[in-house]
Amino acid sequence: MQAPGPPLGPAADRWDAGDMGCGELIVLLRARIRALEPGQLLHLTARDPGAPEDLPAWSRMTGHRLRHEAHPDYWIERRAD
Amino acid sequence: MPGKFCVSLTHAKDNRDKATVAFVVANAAAGSEKSTLVFLSTEAVRLAVPGYADDVHEEGFAPLKDLIANFAAAGGTIYVCSPCFKKRGLDENKLIPGAKIVGGAKLVEWLSDGSPCVSY
Repeated sequence: MQAPGPPLGPAADRWDAGDMGCGELIVLLRARIRALEPGQLLHLTARDPGAPEDLPAWSRMTGHRLRHEAHPDYWIERRAD
Repeated sequence: MPGKFCVSLTHAKDNRDKATVAFVVANAAAGSEKSTLVFLSTEAVRLAVPGYADDVHEEGFAPLKDLIANFAAAGGTIYVCSPCFKKRGLDENKLIPGAKIVGGAKLVEWLSDGSPCVSY
């Protein structure tokens, strides 16, 4: 069952990454978020058990804002260039 | 948070697990917008030969050829140790996309401004 989304408005992109994790997930996430316009949201589903630690760390490093997380669902806002 | 990162790899089909995980970590660094180098030396230089990695697919991971391709597509740099490559009689005119044959000075230059490096 799909987790209910937070009150952030509709996501511009939706990606179910399944069990993908670690660097495999991160390098494809980079490409996915770069395809968005600044301020747009990506709704990501990532079931890998490392995701709850990895995605906040990735957000801190890249500046793309993790607006809401409810593992395995994550809402990420593309940063301004 | 800009910065650099280096992954040093010395294995190919002699240790498929390490070869795979090295590129997974390199993808994590490149995907985190670090300027990322994979330095291939000793046996790992074989990974720079087109087609060599095509049959490397460790359980639980993406195929190695996909990991390498994704790394290059994310702007990653691959340096290939020149004497290691020559020692094995490999063709310097046949390299995978993103790979460049270099001497040790290029690695030293990359690391000299404080780039971290993890080795496999």
